[in-house]
Amino acid sequence: MTSPIPPFGDPWERRQILKMMAAGLALGGVSGCDGDSDALVPAVMPATDMVPGVPGLFTSASVIGGYAEGILIEHRDGRPVKVAGNPKHPASLGATDVFAQALLLGFYDPDRARGPTLNNRPVGLSHFMTALDKRRQHLAETHGEGFRILTGTVTSPTLAAQIAQLRAVYPGLRWHQWEAVSRDQVRAGAQLAYGRSLETVPRLERANVILAIDSDLLSSAPGHLAYARAFAERRNPARTQHMSRVYAVESMPTLTGLAADHRFAVSPPDMPAVLAGLAAAILRDEPIPDGAPPWLAGVAADLKSHRRGAFIHAGPDQPAETHALVHALNEALEGRGHSFDLLPSAEAAPLDQRASLTDLVRGMESGAVDTLLILGGNPAFTAPVDLGFEAALRKVAFSVSLADEPNETSAAATWHIPEAHPFEAWGDARAFDGSVAIQQAQALPLYGGRSQNEMLAIFNGDYYPDGYSMLRRAWQDRLAGDQPWRAALMTGVVEGTAAAPVGDALRPEAAAALPKAEKSAGVTVLFRPDPHLLDGRFANNAWLQELPRPLTKLVWDNPLLVPPALADRLGLAKGDKAALTVDGRRVEAPVWIVPGLADDCVVAQFGFGRRRTGSVGEGAGWDYFQLRRSLGLHDAPAKLEKIPGRHVLASTDRRGLLTETEREAALARQSTLASFLADAQVLKSPGAAVSVTLYDQPPAQSADMAWGMSIDLNACIGCNACIVACQAENNIPVVGKEQVAREREMHWLRIDLDEGSQFQPVLCMHCEEAPCEVVCPVGATVHDAEGLNGMVYNRCIGTRFCANNCPYKVRRFNFMAFSAEEKRPAQSRNPEVTVRARGVMEKCTFCVQRIAAARIQADIENRPIRDGELKTACQSACPTQAFTFGNIRDPDAEVSRRKASPLTYAMLGELNTRPRVTYEGRIRNLSTDAEDG
Amino acid sequence: MIMAGVGWWWGGARTDFETGVGWTLDQPVPFSHEHHVAGLGIDCRFCHSGVEHSADAGIPPTYTCMTCHSQVWTNAAILEPVRASFAQNKPIRWNRVVDLPDYVYFNHSIHISKGVGCASCHGEVDRLPLMAKQKPFTMQFCLDCHRDPGPTLRPRSAVFDLHWKRESTTPSAQQMLDFYHIGGRKLTDCTICHR
Repeated sequence: MTSPIPPFGDPWERRQILKMMAAGLALGGVSGCDGDSDALVPAVMPATDMVPGVPGLFTSASVIGGYAEGILIEHRDGRPVKVAGNPKHPASLGATDVFAQALLLGFYDPDRARGPTLNNRPVGLSHFMTALDKRRQHLAETHGEGFRILTGTVTSPTLAAQIAQLRAVYPGLRWHQWEAVSRDQVRAGAQLAYGRSLETVPRLERANVILAIDSDLLSSAPGHLAYARAFAERRNPARTQHMSRVYAVESMPTLTGLAADHRFAVSPPDMPAVLAGLAAAILRDEPIPDGAPPWLAGVAADLKSHRRGAFIHAGPDQPAETHALVHALNEALEGRGHSFDLLPSAEAAPLDQRASLTDLVRGMESGAVDTLLILGGNPAFTAPVDLGFEAALRKVAFSVSLADEPNETSAAATWHIPEAHPFEAWGDARAFDGSVAIQQAQALPLYGGRSQNEMLAIFNGDYYPDGYSMLRRAWQDRLAGDQPWRAALMTGVVEGTAAAPVGDALRPEAAAALPKAEKSAGVTVLFRPDPHLLDGRFANNAWLQELPRPLTKLVWDNPLLVPPALADRLGLAKGDKAALTVDGRRVEAPVWIVPGLADDCVVAQFGFGRRRTGSVGEGAGWDYFQLRRSLGLHDAPAKLEKIPGRHVLASTDRRGLLTETEREAALARQSTLASFLADAQVLKSPGAAVSVTLYDQPPAQSADMAWGMSIDLNACIGCNACIVACQAENNIPVVGKEQVAREREMHWLRIDLDEGSQFQPVLCMHCEEAPCEVVCPVGATVHDAEGLNGMVYNRCIGTRFCANNCPYKVRRFNFMAFSAEEKRPAQSRNPEVTVRARGVMEKCTFCVQRIAAARIQADIENRPIRDGELKTACQSACPTQAFTFGNIRDPDAEVSRRKASPLTYAMLGELNTRPRVTYEGRIRNLSTDAEDG
Repeated sequence: MIMAGVGWWWGGARTDFETGVGWTLDQPVPFSHEHHVAGLGIDCRFCHSGVEHSADAGIPPTYTCMTCHSQVWTNAAILEPVRASFAQNKPIRWNRVVDLPDYVYFNHSIHISKGVGCASCHGEVDRLPLMAKQKPFTMQFCLDCHRDPGPTLRPRSAVFDLHWKRESTTPSAQQMLDFYHIGGRKLTDCTICHR
């Protein structure tokens, strides 16, 4: 509030009167249009490394499942506002996945744990410290017998060293690990094949033929961002002489499978026959046995004819025997050192996590465990249901759950200590190739949280640990002196920590490994993590809840995914309820029909149905962990039956609304490599475009600066990183399930899945002859001289005629006061972008705030904007560099080169809107032998 | 009646009462630009240090005031809020003299870099014992210059000179535009200021 009526006759400024009225109305329960008047509030002591209004960048790492992806965090006035990838980090190369982007919202989440609790009642930290002090005396007496630590997968050298130190003090200490998204089979497969846990690191830029078996290569494997970049390099024949060929064999469509040239749906019981056939053909040069699918011979022959350049990858849900066999096949194809390398595992202590957790639960039940420290994670929710983790946890005398929010595990533990958010903690972690990244804290803990390193230090007697000095000391030898330490922080990677390929020899047992064939009487249920919530850890993150899943475009829900044939047999339609029974346990949930799923397979995506989480995640979805047993973590025999009832599901898939002619408009153009090589112009439109426009004269164009974008459909894998990046950069609100069901989602950028196999990002085309601009009665959407279709929010009166006229349907309207109702502090938003009120239209602006910043900087330095200096948020986040943005008047700009590609076409170009965003159509490298199954 | 209403609607927004031109605002401390700038010769940038680097010119932190006022006027009653702010680590809450709407994105550094003087928009503050707006800061005011910046631009050396005036020896408006490389981009595009 401004000062009260000044005593010497200064006037009431008009805005002041309105603000007083607004404040009064707000007190009366009605909020006015005008917010609080803002006073000018400088600091008391100036921050020496910060200029108000100028962003700063700090390196850190996003760590999922233990593996690090380097990020850059942008600060404004001392607070983090945006995450970008770190170009110098090998697992990022400048890109991010959806989790790194969503970290920001988690930092500002008001539902985070605010303080310690004892048996779910809030207490002060000193209470915990006193109790812990006494406990440590007990531990000293028993030498740590009964002391256990449970973590997720750990790659952090410092954390592992701390656990080792703790074990030296308490020799009875045992370290258990558990990740719900299990990579046990990968580890076991390497164990079978090489005798120890090794990491297969593909070099996809050198792979000519790739066979992906239920693979997560492009979606969630450690290093998937780097793999995606290398993969995309060989997928556009206009830019590479040697386009790769990709086969995918899988039960459920994955991103890798959708990016493949040939995709074969194979259910888990039929998979062993495929592998046996591959073994026969590649290892022993024998003909494919009967019972294998007809396309297998062609695939095997293709792999064999590309020795050294062939690569086979199996996903983490395949059994260990499959992994071992794949190792043998890859060695036989001589790809080692060429299309892939074997590196030592980045994990600090790889082990069988299922066995480790089972061991821990046995100990808890028998009373052998009296002190348990759970560092992060939520095992009470994610542990296999037959173990009974939660009940066993309640038996432990002194259990501490370090968790970011009050969750199922912290409810059952004795103590809950808030975990510091990754932005609040100093730490380190390894990437897939072993490179170490230092995680820098971006802020002091907002709610007094402690990091995992600090918790271990506390248990070791350092009751007031400082995460920074601990980390500095841990790296003192390797990074001696200030210079090397600062260099590591500035680049985001500790130099020289990447692992070198190992020389381990393949064991003979690997060639004989074969998964067991298990036929199920009913269906096979596949347990997979939800692509955005993973094991449920992000259930309270609204951005990830509302992000349309790549395959189904579903939001806020996780129905069972069933194939069309099975749905027909059971009489199921989308949204009908069904009951899935696994080993006597039953969950009732709606279904969603997914063409492309293998026969008799049902996919249950876990991570939803949280019993105890914040207000965002509460009540969302169904908990399939109730069906997941320890010997059926990946798939299991099950029974599916229809039950009465329906459930409303929200999906942003609108292709059902297209008419027949619209479907034929070929929005996402495709062709084959053979056709392209015969005629490079194969994707161009046959007829002439309509010559009529809505304008008398074209808008004035600047001669030297014109913004344009080219999107490569060969590169887009549908990972959704661009959508979250756009949401973070442009303060796009979350609207909730009900509004999405009414088609009111606010994402400026959407990714359409065309024909179930082609991803196509669609954003405002910034048409040169824009249909939206002519119909705005108040001139709120105008064309600027550089080609941008700009939105002037303050003029918009909400007629929505512009959205009506847009043929691409990329405009979004604030039907409700979405931004005002978001549970998000104002500080968490990007200050460079207006926060839109109710009744205002919005759409992609080509990140006009970034354009302005780049232009101002260039003008101050009296130089033109360099190509590549300015990247839109979507372009920056994309792992495969599908987006290219720049000045199309510059013939040397990357965007001009891409637009010159013969594959370039304009979506709905025949309408003569002259969009500035063009696409490069998809080319599939089809084999003449193999036909899609 | 209708004519009066239309007159009120059209003319009202242009009065000093509405725009606040010349009407001083009450502040926690009655800071005098006249004394500090004309009297002591302090440059604008000593306090408003962000003006050449950032969109935000900046209001000085209490520390800046205390660099002098820990040594002179140390016990003046008028400076009590400053000392209290420093002692209690609570910032001083100044009232905005120029309050642009939130949907306008103004950047100081580009204007300084292109030869727009402080005084062109903020007036000759060294004549003001208490701060008040000297220009209306309506969109019209911004557009008047954006439509034809030449006459307002000054040589680099004169940007922080509050009393500079165009003379016969000053380069012409067109020469100023050429020197600062202005004219290629359309400065009246909506997207320049509104996003």
